[in-house]
Amino acid sequence: MNAGTLHTVLVNLGRAAVLLVILVGTELGVRYGVMSQLFFSSPSEIFEALRTQLGQGTFLPNVGITVFETLLGLVAGSLAGMAVGLLLPQMRILSHVFEPFLMVLNGIPVIVIAPLFILWLGLGILSKIGISVYIVFFAMFIPVYTASLRLETTFVDALRVMGASRSQIFWKVVVPSSLASVYTGLKIGSGLALIGAVIGEFVASRSGLGHMILYASGTLDTPGLYLGIITLAVFAAVLSFAIDAIGPLLVRWRFADEK
Amino acid sequence: MLDFRSIRFSFPGRREQVEVLRDVTFSCREDEIVAVVGPSGCGKSTLLSLATGLRTPTAGEVLVGGQAVHGQDSRLGMLFQQTTLLPWRSVVENVELGLEIRGEPRGARRSKALALMKQYGLAGFERKYPHALSGGMQKRAALAQTLAMEPKVLLLDEPFAALDAQTRVVIQNDVVKICRAGKRTMLIVTHDIAEAISMADRVVVLSRRPATIKEIFEIPFSRGAVSVADVPSMTEFATYFKRIWDALDISITGMGAAA
Repeated sequence: MNAGTLHTVLVNLGRAAVLLVILVGTELGVRYGVMSQLFFSSPSEIFEALRTQLGQGTFLPNVGITVFETLLGLVAGSLAGMAVGLLLPQMRILSHVFEPFLMVLNGIPVIVIAPLFILWLGLGILSKIGISVYIVFFAMFIPVYTASLRLETTFVDALRVMGASRSQIFWKVVVPSSLASVYTGLKIGSGLALIGAVIGEFVASRSGLGHMILYASGTLDTPGLYLGIITLAVFAAVLSFAIDAIGPLLVRWRFADEK
Repeated sequence: MLDFRSIRFSFPGRREQVEVLRDVTFSCREDEIVAVVGPSGCGKSTLLSLATGLRTPTAGEVLVGGQAVHGQDSRLGMLFQQTTLLPWRSVVENVELGLEIRGEPRGARRSKALALMKQYGLAGFERKYPHALSGGMQKRAALAQTLAMEPKVLLLDEPFAALDAQTRVVIQNDVVKICRAGKRTMLIVTHDIAEAISMADRVVVLSRRPATIKEIFEIPFSRGAVSVADVPSMTEFATYFKRIWDALDISITGMGAAA
């Protein structure tokens, strides 16, 4: 066994140990009254809450709604952010006109914008998607816009000398050179998409993981509260792994020939 | 083949117009290599951007084959100082870029690019990305990209400045051979006097800004040399080097001069 694999094995063993300590510790702590049941829940209680909610048929719809809002918000917000981030620098006057407005909008904390979206789009999932699109848009727009402004002028000059039209330069230089920033935008945006959806659900909703958490909190259902938080954490982790798996395909050339 | 006629160029500075070129007139004959040398920042690179239509002269005109240049002209090809190979395209996709822009069908441009790569010693690197290539090979690929479009006139803007000394001589030699074999006109801008003498039939010396032509030197012996590497050891080389150096009028005071 070489040093590299030994390192990996030790790290994984360590992670498993931390998880085990948390699970066994809370289980025993809560069962023997060391930790208050009002503030903490044992893994078995949380599992029981999951079984109950599955039985009532509320768990999966709640998860499904939040996942749907998040993914739609991520896709629509990213596409909009990319489109505006790429096209705006092409029109210098428009870009100078709109820049301060966009920066001010970006500065408003999403939590105070959320009630507006509820007002406009109602209590259903549309307002949550709207909030998600809103914050994802900026997460994508800002890196893509900055990258298009700092475009390598030598590339543009070289293509112009070869007789390229504006649209050829756009598709062959501007778009591909923005892909690294698109990856950055996706990474930040995937986290924010979920935050947007849940914030919307917190402000006003009848379903979704945010609603489930708020309801559990209101009824002092501690295991239900933990169930909601853990489900959200698992979804966030899955989403982040997915982006890390897809993202590098956008900048394939960077990772080529390095083996 | 390439004529600069009474070229003036200035651009608006902070307070007043910055005059870069003041009345520059010279021409390059067909099948002739001309080098332009001048002090740093004198506007020698500006000359090339005027020829390629990236900039428009304030007064005067640039003619190719007797016709004035308006915007981009497919009879001109340019090799830049910095790398212009697009990092997200494989080497062969870069070599065929100009043909792609021109709208040549996929099959034809690919086979043309592959043939050129073979000719320039780039076989085996077709699918690699530019960053996997050495500086010298990147230059060769950029040259292949330019020559794929079969320009009548080749413009070079300090193209070898970033290469190490040995690679530079090899590439200089390749470029001269390719140029002579294709009976192309070549205009090379450089700050390297040795490079100018070794490669060119004539050397145009520009003055400090606002630049005018100080002197034009005929270099009768470089064409006869077997390789570019042989020129510096020729007896006439030192004489011309000294004359061009004197014409440049660069004062060497520097360290110790004041003491």
